[in-house]
Amino acid sequence: MKKIIILSLSIFLIFAYFISCKPKQAPEFTPPPAPAPQEQTPVVKEQPKIEKVEKVEEAEKKLIDIQFAEPELSEEEIFLNKSLEEINQESPIQMIHFDFDKFFIREDAKPVLEATAEWLKQYSTVKILLEGYCDERGTEEYNLALGEKRAKSTFDYLVSLGIAPNRMITVSYGKSQPLDQGHNEIAWQKNRRTQFTIIGK
Amino acid sequence: MKTKRIMLYGTFLFLAALILYPQQEVVMSLKDGMPAIPLAMPEFIIHSSTPEAKSIARQLHQIISEDFKYSRVFQLLPKSHYSWIRPLNPKKIFFKDWESIQANVLFVGEIPESEDDNILFEGKIYDVKSGHFIFGKRYQGEKNLLRLVAHKMADEVMKIYGEKPLFTSKIVFVSNRDGNDELYTMDYDGQNQTRLTFNRIKDYMPAWSPDGRKIAYTSYRKNSAGLYILFPYDQRRDEVISKGTNYAPSWSPDGKKLAFCSTQDESNPEIYVATSYGKNIRRLTINDAIDTAPSWSPTSREIAFTSDRGGTPQIYVMDAEGSNVRRKSFGGSYFDAPAWSPTGDMIAYVSRVDQIFDIYILNLRTNQTHKLTESNARNESPCWAPDGRHLIFSSNISGSIQLYTIDYDGANLRCLTTKGTNKLPDWSN
Repeated sequence: MKKIIILSLSIFLIFAYFISCKPKQAPEFTPPPAPAPQEQTPVVKEQPKIEKVEKVEEAEKKLIDIQFAEPELSEEEIFLNKSLEEINQESPIQMIHFDFDKFFIREDAKPVLEATAEWLKQYSTVKILLEGYCDERGTEEYNLALGEKRAKSTFDYLVSLGIAPNRMITVSYGKSQPLDQGHNEIAWQKNRRTQFTIIGK
Repeated sequence: MKTKRIMLYGTFLFLAALILYPQQEVVMSLKDGMPAIPLAMPEFIIHSSTPEAKSIARQLHQIISEDFKYSRVFQLLPKSHYSWIRPLNPKKIFFKDWESIQANVLFVGEIPESEDDNILFEGKIYDVKSGHFIFGKRYQGEKNLLRLVAHKMADEVMKIYGEKPLFTSKIVFVSNRDGNDELYTMDYDGQNQTRLTFNRIKDYMPAWSPDGRKIAYTSYRKNSAGLYILFPYDQRRDEVISKGTNYAPSWSPDGKKLAFCSTQDESNPEIYVATSYGKNIRRLTINDAIDTAPSWSPTSREIAFTSDRGGTPQIYVMDAEGSNVRRKSFGGSYFDAPAWSPTGDMIAYVSRVDQIFDIYILNLRTNQTHKLTESNARNESPCWAPDGRHLIFSSNISGSIQLYTIDYDGANLRCLTTKGTNKLPDWSN
């Protein structure tokens, strides 16, 4: 009998403890949401401050730019300040042309490539893409191969003039992007070419 | 006396005809293969009187007729023949009637009454001589799938006669109709032209995997022409290789390998082979010349390709491991784009003569070639239909480059595209 009383008492006590704990826990958990908004508000307040700091920095940058822009920039520096798109629009490297069905560098293309090599030496950080193209008088598959051969022979010639191979990448477009849509010898001659795009500076 | 003489002349003429006739027949059978099976397909029977059911029946009949006409396996009897016999009663067919108008096969189509908006269509095939029911199939589908229902029915009939299904196959190609070279697909008859890729870069030279779940193609990204695998049903794209110019993909018919041309090593176009997921890339050709345009034999044991190792581009064949190279094209100075027929005995390719491209077919058994196209234009990029009886190619015969299909014997030229320029077709299995 005593045992039962002790047991029931102990069970009652345990229950009582849990019941007393639960309401305690509840207020313990509820407070966090309250401080949370309090914490958030200072963040919101801080943000505009950060923005202001940024603005000041930008303004300072601009000031510095203006101060340094006064002294004359070298050609290289002017070049480096332009975006890749701007540079490519000016197309500083002249394209070269090829004979029908051939991919060897023609005599008239050699001085053009020598000038290109000089230019690449002047702007020694520039990386270029060599794009090979063909006229419409070849089949799709063979023309893609021929375009690659044209880009590659241009690549090899520039390497022989002292340009590092890791500054150049080749790609072929075959006959898919003609410069001239015509169907005559003038158009075909225009379309058989290696064209250069600057992809890094 | 006179009658005897006439009889003598008669027998002589008959004998002469006998001597001459078989030769002609041999020539004919070599050229045309099996004669087409005469098939009767009377108007489909409608079990409801709505005008809509009538229109569905008419459309289905027309599409299936077009399919059979295109097949070269069946020959549709002219409609006028049906007026000579009793009208078709599907419950009791008088096969003697159909035999009398020389039908071998009778196709009976019925449109059962449909409870909802869907199309119901039932097709049955009978052998006329024996009067036996061969095969039947019932289709249910939404109204916008009417063409698919018709094509599926026609394909089932093809399968019964031991032919590869053709009418549900798809053609993938390159078009610039929306301003930029993108991939498109269409049905074999030029219907359902659908755009597949949406970007601002050039997508090029697509090729179906044999299961029709993947498309390998070239895409100009990252300053190179990379090879990619598109999963058109999963909206996914995997990269195979992005270094150099990679193009002309060709899946082995067993679906295990992907051959393609690449300039990844030393910028020289060579043929490479990878697994069907584009892994474990191995080089097959090693020389300073151009090697390009691989096309697998149907056994997946050999590859036809273009090479200018002899000075001019010619067609060669090599074993799938790259050994045992032998030249297959002769008598010309410019050949490209070989396409091995699914029947295995023919290779179609392009030959350039005086700036004109025409498609030729080389018969590997006889080593004879025949000219498939004859026009003052550039016909190129030939690709076989899965049944080996039709080809698709691009041509600028109308001025701009469009896609055309033609039968293996030069008959039945059809233009499939009109908008923009359309080229580089590949026909799915």
